[in-house]
Amino acid sequence: MKDGLVQFEGVWKKYRRGERHDSLRDLIPSMARALLRKRVAGEALQGQEFWALQDLDFTVEPGEALGIIGPNGAGKSTILKILTRLIRPTRGRSLVRGRIGSLIEIGGSLHPDLTGRENVYLQGSIMGMPRAEVTRKFDEIVEFAGLSDFIDTPVKRFSSGMNARLGFSVAAHLETDVLIIDEVLAVGDSAFQRKAFDRMQTMVQRGIPAVTVSHQLERIASLCTRAILLVQGQVAHAGSTTDCIEMYARYQADPGEAPVAGAQAVQLDSIALASADSTASGERIEFEIVGSSPLERTGARGVVGVRVRSLETGSIIYACGTETHDLEIPPGRFGLRVGLEMNVPPGLYAIESSVWQGGHERDSRNGPTTLIRVSGGPSFTGTVQMNSSILVRSRA
Amino acid sequence: MPVPSPQISENAARSDAPSALRADLREMFHELAAYRELMFSLVRRDLLLRYKQTVMGFGWSVLMPVTYMVIFSLIFTRVVNLKTEVPYPIYVYAGLLPWNFFASTLRFAVGALTSNSTLITKVYFPREILPFSTILVALVDFLVGFSVLALMMLYYKVPLTWFALLLPVVIAVQIMFTAGVTLLLSMGNLYYRDVKYMVEILITLWMFATSVVYPVDRVGGALAVVLKLNPMTPIIDAYRSILLHGRIPDLPSFGTAAAVSVVLLLVSWVLFHRAEFEFAERI
Repeated sequence: MKDGLVQFEGVWKKYRRGERHDSLRDLIPSMARALLRKRVAGEALQGQEFWALQDLDFTVEPGEALGIIGPNGAGKSTILKILTRLIRPTRGRSLVRGRIGSLIEIGGSLHPDLTGRENVYLQGSIMGMPRAEVTRKFDEIVEFAGLSDFIDTPVKRFSSGMNARLGFSVAAHLETDVLIIDEVLAVGDSAFQRKAFDRMQTMVQRGIPAVTVSHQLERIASLCTRAILLVQGQVAHAGSTTDCIEMYARYQADPGEAPVAGAQAVQLDSIALASADSTASGERIEFEIVGSSPLERTGARGVVGVRVRSLETGSIIYACGTETHDLEIPPGRFGLRVGLEMNVPPGLYAIESSVWQGGHERDSRNGPTTLIRVSGGPSFTGTVQMNSSILVRSRA
Repeated sequence: MPVPSPQISENAARSDAPSALRADLREMFHELAAYRELMFSLVRRDLLLRYKQTVMGFGWSVLMPVTYMVIFSLIFTRVVNLKTEVPYPIYVYAGLLPWNFFASTLRFAVGALTSNSTLITKVYFPREILPFSTILVALVDFLVGFSVLALMMLYYKVPLTWFALLLPVVIAVQIMFTAGVTLLLSMGNLYYRDVKYMVEILITLWMFATSVVYPVDRVGGALAVVLKLNPMTPIIDAYRSILLHGRIPDLPSFGTAAAVSVVLLLVSWVLFHRAEFEFAERI
């Protein structure tokens, strides 16, 4: 089964903004226009049209998992729709060798009046699973969804989580040569999410080529072997997963061109971890930020800030800066050695640097970013290590 | 189960050169065969739902033509005395039964694509499966309705002849014609939702232009020429010929209707096939 393959060759896709005529009332004027105006040969953009994808090339071979990240509307789902043949590219082509298994959110296509059992068969055939195969895997599917007790209950009595779990379980048991995962990593409760994620990881480890779209960068980082950062239909960066995530984290913090505050501004050139790029929970890490500041002192010198962002939640969990430590930036080249105690649960974190010129948020500019992986350490859950102590006593 | 050898699915931009008709036809039949299990699953789903959601279940498939049979029998025996070769109730039921098969397919099929938009935007399969499965669902009702016809034939002592063996041929012709119309309507409704409303009017007009409740060949004048073009009349008359009159269907008119059905099905299927790649974007 190790011969699945996904290939995108110079794919372009054109969409149009606004509404299309949807009733016969609009048909006649549009037909008249079509008759009067000469058909413009397929590819040039007209009026409301825009490129949702521009000249995309990639190949995913067995053993590889490609993660596609980027802001909303970047064209990520369009890629998956072209891969699964739901829409046709405007230019170029996509090739998929082998049976495609789509892990997409299709809980909505379960029929409320049918029982769980009937829906498993229906979903199976919708996803291209022969009836015999569903019968063979039926117990496994139900077991995986954790719905053994409810399988003969109409789906309308299910909670939405149960619904999604059932849909995912059917998809996850498809015998597939190519795996396509669209943001389903957020199905069900956290225990089920863990299980679902493990399942996907096993499939990828078995060598099934996979293409994943997700906003959960943490999951992308641990599932994918490489990634593409997509911005407005174009590849902003292709390469290692961590590079892409790093660039994306920077892009998210600062879309568009940063306002350059003139020659007097403090510039940040690099950020580098002093040790390995992974550490244990509770350990101290150190890194160095190198930059330069203007030699003549005119006005405020500026402040260098450091933010730690959890890539699992996307939120900033810690921020500090030269001003919180009452430090001044010296003129000329400078280096800042920063130490942080990573009192956080295991996961992937971005360390972002930034410069504040004045007192306002809008005056800040983002500097380089680096990633740190936190693994193991004392066991706890939550967002911060509180070094708990628990004493057990018997009380008569 | 043997793992099927990996096949390559290509999704390429449409070239400007018109695609070969041969290739289209091959692809259409190949895909329909490959996805037949899905079609049967959808049919099973719809039948199962009807059985679950209604108390009468398949009783409804009989009730509708029986009600119409009673109404038209009252009109055409008490108000107007219409002379027919067999007693009027059985004449009209034998027309209403296949007509109902045709009309209810059209009614459901016109929304077959639009009511399954979740499926169309999320899963790839040949989209003709959706209108086709509505035909199969209506076919089940149609076959159930034959039980009443059989009882009426016993009651009115209409003898069954060997010509009844031609029934599958007549049904096949009707299915092909229905499929052709259905593909066009469901596709039309995807682009313009007006089509759904037009279908209701179309069905009513079409019924009175067909020999369902009265023989249309009794209509004279210029209208008769128009009515002659309707392929549904020879199809419905063919049911009466082989079941009630015990003779072969009128060959010139039934043969023409059969030929029209085959051509219509192929033409509309090719049109549908060439348009379906953009359904997910247009729905």
